[in-house]
Amino acid sequence: MKRLLGVALGILTAIGGFVDIGDLVTNAVVGSRFGLSMVWVVGVGVVGICLFANMSGRVAAASGRATFEVIRERLGARAGLANLSASFLINLMTVTAEIGGVALALQLASSVNYLLWIPVAAVAVWLVIWRVRFSIMENVTGLLGLTLVVFAVALFLLKPDWGSLAGQLAPAVPEHETFWTYSYYAIALFGAAMTPYEVFFFSSGAVEEGWSVKDLVQSRVNVLVGFPLGGLLSVAIAGCAAVVLLPSGIAVTSLSQVILPVAEGAGKLGLAFVLVGVVAATFGAALETTLSSGYTLAQYFGWSWGKFRRPAEAARFHLAMIVCLLVGLAVLATGVDPVLVTEYSVVFSAIALPLTYLPVLIVANDPQYMGEHVNGRAVNVLGMVYLVIILVASLAAIPLMIVTGAGS
Amino acid sequence: MDPGAARRLEAKVLNTPASAASRKLLAALAPAALAVLTACSGSTSESVSTAVQDTSSAVATARIALRQDLDGKLTRAATATTLDDALKEAQTSRDAVLKLSPAGQEDRDTQKQALEVLDQCAAGFATARASLASDTGGPSLSDGDEALADAQDALDDLSQKVGSK
Amino acid sequence: MTSSGDSLVPAPRLAGRTLDAQLHLMDRQVLDHDGVPVTTVDDLELSGPALEAEIRPGTPAPVLTALLTGPVLGTRIFGGRPPSSRLIRIPWEDVAEVDVVLKLGVSGERLDAGWVERWIRDKIIARIPGGRHDPR
Repeated sequence: MKRLLGVALGILTAIGGFVDIGDLVTNAVVGSRFGLSMVWVVGVGVVGICLFANMSGRVAAASGRATFEVIRERLGARAGLANLSASFLINLMTVTAEIGGVALALQLASSVNYLLWIPVAAVAVWLVIWRVRFSIMENVTGLLGLTLVVFAVALFLLKPDWGSLAGQLAPAVPEHETFWTYSYYAIALFGAAMTPYEVFFFSSGAVEEGWSVKDLVQSRVNVLVGFPLGGLLSVAIAGCAAVVLLPSGIAVTSLSQVILPVAEGAGKLGLAFVLVGVVAATFGAALETTLSSGYTLAQYFGWSWGKFRRPAEAARFHLAMIVCLLVGLAVLATGVDPVLVTEYSVVFSAIALPLTYLPVLIVANDPQYMGEHVNGRAVNVLGMVYLVIILVASLAAIPLMIVTGAGS
Repeated sequence: MDPGAARRLEAKVLNTPASAASRKLLAALAPAALAVLTACSGSTSESVSTAVQDTSSAVATARIALRQDLDGKLTRAATATTLDDALKEAQTSRDAVLKLSPAGQEDRDTQKQALEVLDQCAAGFATARASLASDTGGPSLSDGDEALADAQDALDDLSQKVGSK
Repeated sequence: MTSSGDSLVPAPRLAGRTLDAQLHLMDRQVLDHDGVPVTTVDDLELSGPALEAEIRPGTPAPVLTALLTGPVLGTRIFGGRPPSSRLIRIPWEDVAEVDVVLKLGVSGERLDAGWVERWIRDKIIARIPGGRHDPR
């Protein structure tokens, strides 16, 4: 019974933890501009993140080694450092976007300007990292993030014409958009679903929680059930935007537009739920990305790390995270639009994906680390297919960004 | 032991597709930079129609928010924030049109027309925000919606005019 | 480490495990005897003749003397070599076990390699309220 509860809790937190500011914004933008014609991208992304998270979780459980330790060992110091710089900067960008997202959601709830909420959000993130237990942190934000299910509820309450909505599902470029903007947003959506920080976080979290090979089954269930359901949540966000915003010619550029369809369908109660959900999801993701920046640095340089240690026993790790939060604060204090930061961060995530994906794929096949838990043949075939997809998305992203003027 | 004998062992860096990827990216960047240069010199009517589109999206957003507020679906805080965000977007578009450097008489006319309509939108936003702030005496929510609706009509006219050029 | 340069005599067979410096030592995580991470192996130090010196027949093969860390990582990536006095060494005698990680047989508390960590801990982190609080 206790085990069953554990599985249920794991699945629920995986659903709630799947969505972050990148998913919220990108899905709403895509839904408002392209309808449901990009649902297939979410599908591709969800299968990818399941595969990738599963592999890195297995590496962590079988060898006790987190992703970035492995990356440095495999790539050596120099290529490892290049990889670290890219991954770390993109992660920092995501930290900034998530904290901005928390502040924007709090502005929607209070009408107090988001710039005033930013320091509050950053201090709250730091306090949780400083004092709260890893498992409590994960479960609370994950469960509260589940309130985002209100997007799906609102979609039903909006009573859309399901037939025409289903008709949008086929991949097609709407007439007022070009093939290039379509491709650009497809990559952004792919990057949002497969954010690399989730992998650092997932593998380091496995070490934090002391997973052994025995726990692999549960982690696999969490991922394989939780992430696809999280993906459905993403589709619901896009669906809401497609039903309410697309017909009015609204292209999403702010968080307030993301939540309008929920208020339309589910009223003030729905609004309350969605605001709690957005705050929880972005706050949870802010915690995960901040920890991830600490994890990547500590693992590359071999510092002592982990929330399971006292802060004093992982001093450089904690100092690095404090510095990251301060940098994020400084960036946001310039008044840069957090939604814009988010839109860029998901594209850069897609660009950086091969950097983390490839080393994990290599190590998951290395018996020295994995023993008998190396990749099976089916996983490897799928892994190679995704390697190609990830490389194509990564290479195409910057040219597309320039050709489309970042999707405008 | 001779300290100078510390020999450095340079780990051979695996030649990963990642590093190959960055080289390919650089190769892709050169033509892309050209594309940026050409994109920057887009025509006036193109920039105006983008600005009109963005503003029209902002006005539509504000109208939805006002209607939801009237229906009791949106809290004041959320409505006010949505209006602020929409106003910000409209302002950005107006700035973009203001900063255009039109080449000929025709472009100057287009810019002027656009600015007039965008000013009307700004006025509409002002009415809408005032209607939200004042419970008594000021304009009502439906006044705000009306002002925005007029602005939207003007935007539609303009976009047809610019689009036909 | 089996190579002895360009000598014609085949390398003598050594007892025990053969370790490849690049594959099994470089860039590996180093843990102390309590399993606390100390550093990563940034470079290795070998005994033996100086770099330019002529190697005479009969010279003993170089022996691994220490794991290196600290500024040597920067010079390994960007070129150059720090002066010997700036190298932070973990003597090879302290290494107890070589697996996917290197385990030391000593505590990390007294090692030179841990001074930055200790300095940040004592000067910054431990002074923030709750810094010594156990998260569990």
